[in-house]
Amino acid sequence: MNEVAGPLLRVIGRWRGQSGWLVLGAVVSLAALGSAIGLMLVAGAALTVRRGGAAVPHPIALLALAAGGSLLAAPLLLRALGSGRVVLRYLDRLTSHAATFRALAALRVWFFRGLAANSAGGLGFRHAGDVLARLVGDVEALDGLYVRILLPLIGALVLAPVLAVALGLFSIPLAAIVTALFVLAAFVLPLRAARGTAAAGQSQAEAAAALRIAILDTLSGLPEVRAFGAEGRMLASVQAREAQLLAAQRAQARRVATFGAGALLLGQVAVLAVLTMATRHPSAAIVAAFLVVAAFEAVGGLARAGALAGQASAAARRVLEAAEAPAVVADPPHPAPMPATHTLTFEAVRFRWQPDLPYVFEQLDLSIAPGTRIALLGPSGIGKSSLAALALRLAAPESGRILLGGTDIATLPAAGLHARIAWLSQTTHLFADTIRNNLRLCCPDADDAMLWQALEAARIADAVRALPEGLDTWLGEGGAGFSGGQGRRLALARTLLSPAPILILDEPCAGLDAATERDFLTTLNEVAAGRTVILIAHRLTGVERLDRIWRLSGGVAVAAAA
Amino acid sequence: MAVHVVAVCGSAFHSMNAPSPPVSPSPATSSAEPGRSAALARAWLRAETRRAGRTTRWPILTGLVAVAAGALQAVLAGAVLARALAALAAALHPPPPIRFPLAGAPAAPAIPALGITAYGQAAAGLPPPPPPHTALWVLLGGFLLAMLVRAAANYASERFAFAAGATARRHLRSDAMARLLAAGPAVLAGQHSGALAAIVMDRIELLDGYFARYLPARTLALVGPALILLVALALDPFAALVLALAGALVPFGMALAGIGAKRATERQFAALSRLQVRFLDRMRGLSTIILAGRAEAEAAALQTAAGDLRRRTMRVLRVAFLSASILDLAAAAALVVLAIHYAQVLAPAGAPAKGVAPAAALGVLLLVAEFFAPLRSLASVYQDGIHARSAAAELIALPPAPPEPVARTVRNVAAQGISVAFEHVNLTRDAARGAVLSDLSFRIPAGETLVLVGPSGSGKSTVIETLLGFHRPQSGRVTLNGADLSDVVPAALSRLTAWVGQRPKLFAGTIAENIRFARPEASEQEVTAAARAAHVSDFAEALPAGLGTRIGEGGFGLSGGQAQRIAIARAFLRNAPLLLLDEPTAHLDPASEALVLDSLRRLAVGRTVILASHSAAAYEFSGRRLHLAAGRVAA
Repeated sequence: MNEVAGPLLRVIGRWRGQSGWLVLGAVVSLAALGSAIGLMLVAGAALTVRRGGAAVPHPIALLALAAGGSLLAAPLLLRALGSGRVVLRYLDRLTSHAATFRALAALRVWFFRGLAANSAGGLGFRHAGDVLARLVGDVEALDGLYVRILLPLIGALVLAPVLAVALGLFSIPLAAIVTALFVLAAFVLPLRAARGTAAAGQSQAEAAAALRIAILDTLSGLPEVRAFGAEGRMLASVQAREAQLLAAQRAQARRVATFGAGALLLGQVAVLAVLTMATRHPSAAIVAAFLVVAAFEAVGGLARAGALAGQASAAARRVLEAAEAPAVVADPPHPAPMPATHTLTFEAVRFRWQPDLPYVFEQLDLSIAPGTRIALLGPSGIGKSSLAALALRLAAPESGRILLGGTDIATLPAAGLHARIAWLSQTTHLFADTIRNNLRLCCPDADDAMLWQALEAARIADAVRALPEGLDTWLGEGGAGFSGGQGRRLALARTLLSPAPILILDEPCAGLDAATERDFLTTLNEVAAGRTVILIAHRLTGVERLDRIWRLSGGVAVAAAA
Repeated sequence: MAVHVVAVCGSAFHSMNAPSPPVSPSPATSSAEPGRSAALARAWLRAETRRAGRTTRWPILTGLVAVAAGALQAVLAGAVLARALAALAAALHPPPPIRFPLAGAPAAPAIPALGITAYGQAAAGLPPPPPPHTALWVLLGGFLLAMLVRAAANYASERFAFAAGATARRHLRSDAMARLLAAGPAVLAGQHSGALAAIVMDRIELLDGYFARYLPARTLALVGPALILLVALALDPFAALVLALAGALVPFGMALAGIGAKRATERQFAALSRLQVRFLDRMRGLSTIILAGRAEAEAAALQTAAGDLRRRTMRVLRVAFLSASILDLAAAAALVVLAIHYAQVLAPAGAPAKGVAPAAALGVLLLVAEFFAPLRSLASVYQDGIHARSAAAELIALPPAPPEPVARTVRNVAAQGISVAFEHVNLTRDAARGAVLSDLSFRIPAGETLVLVGPSGSGKSTVIETLLGFHRPQSGRVTLNGADLSDVVPAALSRLTAWVGQRPKLFAGTIAENIRFARPEASEQEVTAAARAAHVSDFAEALPAGLGTRIGEGGFGLSGGQAQRIAIARAFLRNAPLLLLDEPTAHLDPASEALVLDSLRRLAVGRTVILASHSAAAYEFSGRRLHLAAGRVAA
């Protein structure tokens, strides 16, 4: 049971800051529930009391009409409860939504901060955007936790004793039976439904992921699919994965339907119990019937929610794991002061991404003096990007040291390190925002003149100028609306705007045609004057003005011609 | 249809079981011609609704059985409770004290067999009442039976609803995939494959709610209350009148409260999903944000955006929820009016004019909840309807299946030795950018090599892609062994060709599976041989599981050169007579390039080869050279 409830409870624990709103939502929700129950109660009571005459007013009727003060007040009370119920239900919707909005927003921000603190080098760095996207879906999936599980549970906790006392006033056996059934419907059945759903939620998530990959593979591989005449095969594979997903969902739907029917039956059995007692406790039975109908209706959704709790719980677990994971490379507890100079030195660095993968660097020795311009060449896949990751401490070497201005970067604060080194990576992201805001990411107070200068340097200014809204043009998700090459150039302009003294440009010319590439590299010689430039590439064009060229090969850096 | 106006925002949130909300309405795309695209979406949904009619019939029918069983339960429970009432009255006033007459009470002829009228007859002072001829246990048994039927019908209705949703999704997904597959690589020119995949995966999942929940609920919200109304009419016409009025109040009141609110609500849904898009976007770019030192600023901005949106959303919801309250108001009003009415009718001293059997009165009161239940169900799935329209708009935007080539006479092309000829071919892909190929003519005899050289944009790739069937020339002829390309069915064409492009696609799976993609029926030995010939084995042996290493999504990341060698292994395995090489070394470093070229030279032996290249690779192949410039043969 804990495997399902645990993660959900921990997510709820995250909502402490919103507890005021959550409690208010619960109180209003209880009041609305109370008015609904009261309405049914009085509706029944009004009949009975009138019918039975004032001779033997029974306890529940008295209870129900106590507020009205007089038996004659029943119609008035009815009207009051009726309109009160409508108003309270309205307030209930408003407050529970306001509370959920707050809770969800808090969860998002907490999640963002958590990932930002631990995963600069892991998630998001190596094509893991889709993993993150799935996690975002998980966060969104927790929106029903408060309204669908928490509030009804609180209502049930209050209702159970109310039922027991109200019915117990005139018939202990009936109270016992109905309360037992209510506890079954509100607590036992949902718990029973939740048991084992963790595995079901997991298998459904896996089936969905498999289908998503099959679809994405087919569509991004359309040229291959057409060239190899694989249309039928690919369609069949998508259909097969879909059938698996549907089977998992069908099993889930059956579970939900079964427990839903169970909850309905429990409520109906309670009504049947009341009816069976009807001739023995006539007046009470009439009131009880209305009361029972309303009470079971209030908790009717819990069994279904329980059957789906596994999915929510699996989502909660992934969210918690991601946000609370330890940092890949933790900040030192007492960071050293930032060095005054910024010579970047690699000393006997040995590195691989995972213990079961081959080494990227076996013995890397490299020293880059401030203000020098160097190129790092090497075949694709050799780990040229790993060098940037190491310098930014997104990954840690197995052995050896990396020094900035003579200080081991392991002792420096990450934020300070990031401020010194600007990196244009292969996965640099363009945000769904204006061009201006995208450019200002690295230096928020750059003026338009500086922005245009950077755009000129990146050879994209003309394209931006041609846009009707210029710098205020909105870039779609992932920089859509611009071609890949243009997007890279915008990212490059952003990197050039950074005040960092060290620039690492990872294949900055990918996506540029040959003429633009030479043009760009020529400009680079001017704009980055005075800064250290590390150009990572698989070949040179010949126009670069460089102080040194290193060739990476066999896990070591070899000096090439200057 | 009036029920459409039941625009209740039951909840602005997605239920936990519902698929995730649409996460892409970008501000740019949704604003274009909103009226027309909305009308198209509605028309499309209507057509799909008709098509799904057979599958959605079952959840509706079983749902109706459940409603009927619920009504029967209310009537029976009323009868039992009425007995209790009678017992109570008898205990208090031994002789029947009730004076209101009941001749012709509408309930009397309605359900006499159940003995519901027994009390009324007694009350009316008719001849001594026969003892109730329906024993209590019969009533209770009937209740039990109805309860079982109702639970079973509910269960069946949910199962049928799932089946309806599943059938619709299966059809829509296969249809969308088939359209995209038929349209081929051309669709990728305008749209990112990720966005297309999101449509095929998420939007179609989202439509499940429409077919499984919304459609049945919409019909049931009309038919269910009507059925209850008939039962109420049989019990007490006054009650039927009250319920009918209350029911009519629902769409009417909602129209009043909801006309403005509905549009605002939909806008707010869009704003909500924009916030989700923003969150998603910032998460995708998380490392960029961190490295720029902007994590804290972005977190704060995210919080502010969420707060702003919440305040604006709540303003809208304050109005939108009013329409939900109309439903509550109608239900409460009906209950209160009827309870007060019956309290007076049943009062010892009151209401001489008309009488209603207590059984009927109690039954009616219990029916009130049943009457509004289908309306509530519809309100709770209302957003499934909204989401369906946005999903529909995106599905419509997928390319229509292009017409099959008019196979005048499907030609068989000899499988050995292919000669290729372009005869005055003109091809324009994008009218704004002019012709890609203009009046291009050349000829390659079987078994020879043609090297296409020229700057990028000169049409080299287009020549190859035309031979692959990605594009269709506007005029001129492309022939294989003299047979017009447009007469060759795609499947036959693909059997004749092997292709190595600039950036091969690796599918999620093992290296061996990726090679086998070229020819699924190939034997283990053939795959291994192809891997060796293309130098795949060289690097695969260093990997944890050799050729069984998983690559692609979620697998081991290969370099560009390694991916290219897998593409060449595919071509080896394909063993087709026509080999098309499109800049196969464009993105490789010199060392990888040498390896790849070595494999390619061996692959080329004995085949007709067309190689497009602007690099040194061109000089590694002997053969005729064709210089292209702006889509024509350069002098």
